[in-house]
Amino acid sequence: MTSQAVFVLFNGLASGMAFFLVAAGLTWVFGILKILNLAHGAFFMLGAYIAFTVGGAWPASIWSFVGVALIAAAAVGALGYLTDQLVLKRLRNVDYHYALIATFGLMLFCEGAAKFIWGTDYQAVMPPPEIDRAIVVGGSYISLYTLFVIGAGIAVFAALEMIMHRTWAGKIMRAVSNDPWMAGTLGINVPMVLMVSVIASFALAGFAGGILVPNQALSPHVGASFVLYAFMAVVIGGLGSIRGTFIACILLGLVESANATFLSQYGGIAIYVMLAVFLVWKPTGLFPAQGAT
Amino acid sequence: MVQNSSTSIQGRMTTFSPVLGPVVLTALFAFLFFAPMMLNAGLLFWVGMTMIQAIFALSWNLLFGYTGLASFGHAGFYAIGAYFTGAALRYDFQLPFLVVLAVAGILGALVALAIGVVALKRLTGIFLAVLTVALTEAMAKIIGLSKALGEQDGLGNIPRPIIDLGFLDLDLTHSHDYYRFLLIATVVTVAALWWVVHSRLGRSFRAVREDAERARFVGIDVARVRVISFMISGGTAALAGALSAPWTRIVTLDQVNWLASTQPILNSLLGGFTSFWGPVVGAVAYTGINYWTRTFAGLSEMLVGGILVLVILLAPTGIVGLLGKATRRIRGNGGKK
Repeated sequence: MTSQAVFVLFNGLASGMAFFLVAAGLTWVFGILKILNLAHGAFFMLGAYIAFTVGGAWPASIWSFVGVALIAAAAVGALGYLTDQLVLKRLRNVDYHYALIATFGLMLFCEGAAKFIWGTDYQAVMPPPEIDRAIVVGGSYISLYTLFVIGAGIAVFAALEMIMHRTWAGKIMRAVSNDPWMAGTLGINVPMVLMVSVIASFALAGFAGGILVPNQALSPHVGASFVLYAFMAVVIGGLGSIRGTFIACILLGLVESANATFLSQYGGIAIYVMLAVFLVWKPTGLFPAQGAT
Repeated sequence: MVQNSSTSIQGRMTTFSPVLGPVVLTALFAFLFFAPMMLNAGLLFWVGMTMIQAIFALSWNLLFGYTGLASFGHAGFYAIGAYFTGAALRYDFQLPFLVVLAVAGILGALVALAIGVVALKRLTGIFLAVLTVALTEAMAKIIGLSKALGEQDGLGNIPRPIIDLGFLDLDLTHSHDYYRFLLIATVVTVAALWWVVHSRLGRSFRAVREDAERARFVGIDVARVRVISFMISGGTAALAGALSAPWTRIVTLDQVNWLASTQPILNSLLGGFTSFWGPVVGAVAYTGINYWTRTFAGLSEMLVGGILVLVILLAPTGIVGLLGKATRRIRGNGGKK
């Protein structure tokens, strides 16, 4: 029983942190731009493919693995700049329906491009050799890669919290998020802040792609499954709140993992029940952000 | 520019002149009626699917274009209709086919009522979008676990129905016969929707979309109008699904995921959501793109996705809006008031 509980706990935390790596950029861009970027998962997928192309299926060491993830982050960040200039910039002041649908079109475009470039076959990437083994914790086998993902999620969360609440740049971000017009009159370069946020959010998606690629069979549809969990986490957490999203991701991961272990005949249903309960109970999320619709 | 209501209403009024509309519709109906003699079986299948997609898109646009609510889980309603009809025909529920269709539509409307009563009052915007997506995904999971509904493999071998009218039997087992039934059902459904949006009810939908606050002042029960619109929309989407089951003869989980939900959105925007006929035009255009690019992996997604982004950025009123602009320019008033 203890071994099962330990297994559920670690697996749940690992999937929770995997959701968070994807959801972090999503909630950041929502907080600042008030756009729910449906294409976020597609850019995560592009990050995973870029990591696969640069690093190959057998990473030499954990350092080269992280390095490749950073290259993917830079590449997807650059794509983010391009996307911002071409598309997102023009969606700043339109009704959110149009932004949702335009980013959906963007997602289709990216998936099509991935099919075109890399084909529709499934690819597999191994974890780096140092963490490609399991240790025994409380009578249960836990892979070191699982612990690595948990660590990466916590590190990204800590970094974002530091930036948002302890630095001058974070203060500017929060000011723009609260009231872009007022921030502009105080001499803050608002368009610049918006652009930097978009690039950072896309870079986070690319980084998540590089870090999480050993977790799954890589195909052009890998983003769609992840981004749905990310949406749920962002909505439960309160749109635009990084803390709320972090907590919601952990909850979702644990519920999903417990569901898969103890009620496997109804696998995958519990999180939807959880979402429905949360939406009816707390319609604006755990930490409602200002200006969220 | 996008929310400018006066241009959208103007677009709706001036797109089709009073003479052109009926002529185009009659010609279209004649072509569709004689299509089985002109087209091969493969193409005829695409034409039938386009009609079903047109109804599906019209049902979504009733909600978005007329009432101002967006559902991102409309495939759920479609799947309710498709799975119910598939099961009714496959396991022979002993119900006349027309009753099966009616029950499918009512089921869709009832589910819409339940969601509407619980969620529509509390949730708006993105929360409603994510909830509708999640409910559809949950439904797909439940169907995937249900043995009677074919689990992951889908419900196959669905027989086509025979309609007993009392004095004669309409045998629809041949694809040409079912196709003609589908055509007539499409015409009746589209006519019914046309009637709804041009009735008093349809005007109250538009009043709610334009300004819910003012609509409330003039005595419209906004919440009730929204729920009714949601019910009609959900019921019509379920009917589209119900009509599709005997046509495709297989119902699979591919019709329940959230990508399937975006099909009516694509069609409506591509054709133009400000016009009643926009979703129909969009369904035809989308099928055309898909048909010509079907052999290239990834190309159709790139095209459709790219076109969608361009439509939103450059021509938010879609193909019909562009046509309307062009006619106004030709008539000489340059599209200006």
